[in-house]
Amino acid sequence: MLLGIITKITQLAPDDYVGFTFFIGYMAMAAAAVFFLFERSRVEDKWKMSLLVSALITGIAAVHYGYMRDYWGEFGASGDGSPTFFRYVDWTLTVPLMCVEFYLLTKVAGAKKSLLWKLIIASTWMLVCGYIGEAFNPDGGSTSHSVMWGVLSTLGYLYILYTVWLGEVAKLAEASNSDVVKKGVRTLAWFVLVGWAIYPIGYMCMDGGWLNGVFAAKDVDLFYNIADAINKIGFGLVVYNIAITSSAKTKTA
Amino acid sequence: MSKEIFIFIASVLLIMPMLSVFGDISLPGQLVLSAPFIILLGIPHGAIDNVLYIRGASLKQTHFIAIYLLIIAINILLWVVFPVAAYVLFLVISAYHFGQSQFSHYFKTQKLVHQLTNLLWGVSILSALTLFNLTEIKTVMSDYSEFSVFDPVHHTRGLSVIFGISTLLTLSSLIWLTASKALKLEALFMEVLILALIFVSFYLMPVIIGFTLYFVILHSFKVLGEEYRFLKLAKEVKSRVAFVKLLTPFSILSFFGMGVVFALIHFNILAMSYGYCLLIIISSITLPHVFVMNKFYKLLFKTNFYQEEH
Repeated sequence: MLLGIITKITQLAPDDYVGFTFFIGYMAMAAAAVFFLFERSRVEDKWKMSLLVSALITGIAAVHYGYMRDYWGEFGASGDGSPTFFRYVDWTLTVPLMCVEFYLLTKVAGAKKSLLWKLIIASTWMLVCGYIGEAFNPDGGSTSHSVMWGVLSTLGYLYILYTVWLGEVAKLAEASNSDVVKKGVRTLAWFVLVGWAIYPIGYMCMDGGWLNGVFAAKDVDLFYNIADAINKIGFGLVVYNIAITSSAKTKTA
Repeated sequence: MSKEIFIFIASVLLIMPMLSVFGDISLPGQLVLSAPFIILLGIPHGAIDNVLYIRGASLKQTHFIAIYLLIIAINILLWVVFPVAAYVLFLVISAYHFGQSQFSHYFKTQKLVHQLTNLLWGVSILSALTLFNLTEIKTVMSDYSEFSVFDPVHHTRGLSVIFGISTLLTLSSLIWLTASKALKLEALFMEVLILALIFVSFYLMPVIIGFTLYFVILHSFKVLGEEYRFLKLAKEVKSRVAFVKLLTPFSILSFFGMGVVFALIHFNILAMSYGYCLLIIISSITLPHVFVMNKFYKLLFKTNFYQEEH
């Protein structure tokens, strides 16, 4: 196993910065998952589930990044393709889990199960449409195919964006009477607005895509890796901050 | 994030990729696509200037209309005598007006720094619109001889300098306002994001569609909302229906007036191109509207409108 890993590392060229970010992403996600799991014991019971979900998000991503790193070492660096399949499997599992975090955070203010399902369905819709658009793009690229599935996917994104900024999640956070929750949910909403924006840009760079040619496929993988690390670990850290601050406040009260 | 900003983001994200499927859209095509939105939201947002101005002022309706028409007449005269000056004046007052409506919910007073920020923001987006679509604008203008006088205004290098300086100063001003606690850090981030999104949409979309998206959603829709909520708070209107009824007479009158002018051109009574005439009309209704809105915003600040609302 160890030899296998070392072999993979040696296969990465010193100037393969994309491969480097796959490796860094893998280690960072794994470290974050361990951190969130260990820190669970330091927070109040009501926040334990949130930290577990944060650990799951980064843990699942770490496993996928392990696969993607190997895939990149084998095919990607030579220009034979990006690990699209692994990326979407990762996102299809982790993005709905991020939406679960919104439900868990606003549960204290009375969030209902229906909110959880609406967010899960919207995020799954967004990713499935994105996957069809990207993975089943005809050879050479089709603009109408890319745009149609891109627009359908965007509808899912907009639903989530509306819910967390103006809709149910925002209203519940406001009603929570907790500054920590309000501030935390708003920070997570910024992740959705800015952090998630990198993905449609990457999507539009595919063959036939609207921004095709603006960035090379290699650069898109680089953006995805950086965005994934910031979004997933950052998201988890915000949740961690809410949990730890709230728990500390309860202790001192 | 306000509703207008959400609608703007959603529209940009959905419309931009779709435009790539349609390919290049001709100018008449752009006008056809944009006109319904400008007619439904753009024109009506200035159709209750009389109601807004007279509120809190000791001025009779007839006097107000007379002064309003006088300003329009002076502006038309300026277009006839000094078209370049009239064009530049139009751009500058529009820039200030756009900036004023953009920041109306943040600023509680109208100090010089706020007014400068309003102007710089507006200059930044209008210069971006012109600079990013200069080829398209020049192609359209080259079809009509009247526009040739504006060539010095549409100088690429000059526009680049104006765009660069105004954007830099806008950002500096916003940062300064944040540092002096007049603006929240989150508001600064949101404004930078919106400015970037406006630039992207102006750069990537055809000129009229890009501008319409900004003008209708971020400007007109927001101003209409402020007008409605203000009049409701002042018990001037009770419902949205009543507000629409209030907007209707002068909106219809504006369309009718434009129709008459275009008919004069059509029957060769007025020797002018439709495009040039439209520019003069828009500029002429903008000038008095900006004065009214300036007073309206002063009234909003004086009555602590945004604090009252929250």
